[in-house]
Amino acid sequence: MKEIDARGLACPAPVLQSKSAIEAEQLNTVRVVVDNQAAQQNVKRFLESRGFEIALEKDTDGYYVIGRCDETPLTEPEAAPAAEAGQTKIMVMIATDRLGYGDDELGLKLMTNFIRTLKEMGPDLWRLVFVNNGVKLAIQNSEVIPDLKELEDNRLQILVCGTCLTHFDLLEHKQVGETTNMLDIVTAMQLADKVINI
Amino acid sequence: MCGLEIPTNDRVIVGMDSLDDAGVYRISDDLAVIQTVDFFTPIVDDPYAFGLIAAANALSDIYAMGGIPKTAMNLVCFPLKQMDISILRQIIQGGLDKMKEADVVLIGGHSVEDRELKYGLSVTGFVHPDRILTKKNLSVGDCLVLTKPLGTGVINTAIKGGTASVEVIERVTQLMAALNRDAAEVMNKYRVHACTDITGFGLLGHLAEMIVGSGCGLELDSENIPILPEAIDYAAMGMLPAGAFNNKEFREPMVEFSYSVNPLMRDLLFDPQTSGGLLICLDRNEADKLVDELHQKGIGESAVIGEVISAPLGKILVN
Repeated sequence: MKEIDARGLACPAPVLQSKSAIEAEQLNTVRVVVDNQAAQQNVKRFLESRGFEIALEKDTDGYYVIGRCDETPLTEPEAAPAAEAGQTKIMVMIATDRLGYGDDELGLKLMTNFIRTLKEMGPDLWRLVFVNNGVKLAIQNSEVIPDLKELEDNRLQILVCGTCLTHFDLLEHKQVGETTNMLDIVTAMQLADKVINI
Repeated sequence: MCGLEIPTNDRVIVGMDSLDDAGVYRISDDLAVIQTVDFFTPIVDDPYAFGLIAAANALSDIYAMGGIPKTAMNLVCFPLKQMDISILRQIIQGGLDKMKEADVVLIGGHSVEDRELKYGLSVTGFVHPDRILTKKNLSVGDCLVLTKPLGTGVINTAIKGGTASVEVIERVTQLMAALNRDAAEVMNKYRVHACTDITGFGLLGHLAEMIVGSGCGLELDSENIPILPEAIDYAAMGMLPAGAFNNKEFREPMVEFSYSVNPLMRDLLFDPQTSGGLLICLDRNEADKLVDELHQKGIGESAVIGEVISAPLGKILVN
């Protein structure tokens, strides 16, 4: 069984260390040792949220959390929308408000058309992420807002980069999607079966 | 401080021997000064926002005592060798903007070089000696009103862990930077029996302080206690700060939870708050009116969260 030594670390570091370990190595069993009860409780909570059965122990060296998971551990908290079995997870990341290089007017038209046609991917389209200039597609006055709303109503998760919105001073003008951070984006990339960059 | 002799005199109205938010000293029959100090390490990444929050947090103790803050001094610890001085400038700008909003003037301060950045204020306020609010003076049948939602400790831990979303960071920053002034102005129109602000000991820790030696107990309705919804999610992911566990260990013997209160909720009621809301104790007939007026003033999450009961003595029942 993999042992994670998180003694000497303050919350939330033991949780983060456990998270990296189970995600990197796809662990089904794990034993985490910490040096205080607060960290023990937090690690227990975290592992439970990923589908582990927990046992707690304590001796003179520290507090232990032993986790066992019969199936593959959940890669996200249980509440998050999970893809249905047998389905390809496609993530589309859009970093521009124009499709391709060259004529800007044409680029805008093509992008509008691209977003309108995305729904043809059907349930395989798993996540749509907007970064950099792409976030401008998700704000007021963007032509594709109705199309994006329709995708969102069909349970597509749309993520919009918060740093980018803040940079363009558009945080309050976002019309669709959840504001997100780089950790969510990187995690989504890792979970996706296919990532398409535009 | 145990075992040390603290000099005092008859002008000290609230001193070291009480567990109150600030000290109060009588100048004349119609004027007393309130003094408080608070400073801490950064809880958000944005230096300007940290300045706003640290100042709002320090000013809060004066409002909780029923007073009006008047002057302040900066307290700064800064790692000059590791950090650019422009960061300090932004922090102090945040503090100044918050003081301006509170009509408080900065009249001095002190800075030392330190390995770890810290910022806060020492604040002086005025109050009429007959209008001082402390944590004591509860009567059976009184209701408790809370003016800000709980959960900032959990969310600050999630921010440290890099797992909080930008929207949550924005929301919690705004909440912590919000002055308790408007709430205090509304409160001061009512006949309030006791008041404190919710900070490091969490809601149940501060309530425990209120009932020690009061001759009464408390009954809370957990469904009415305002809580940031994201805090529940982060608590479930193991983002509870160590302080919440310490608070729980210290005060849990005074608390009796009904079986229906879920474990995450139990922990959140001990979550240490930064610049938390006011906890106001007043007559049942006035409590609903106070909450209505707070809502009208835009303090929309204020709620009646419980009441003072006669038995069991010295216990907090949470339903």
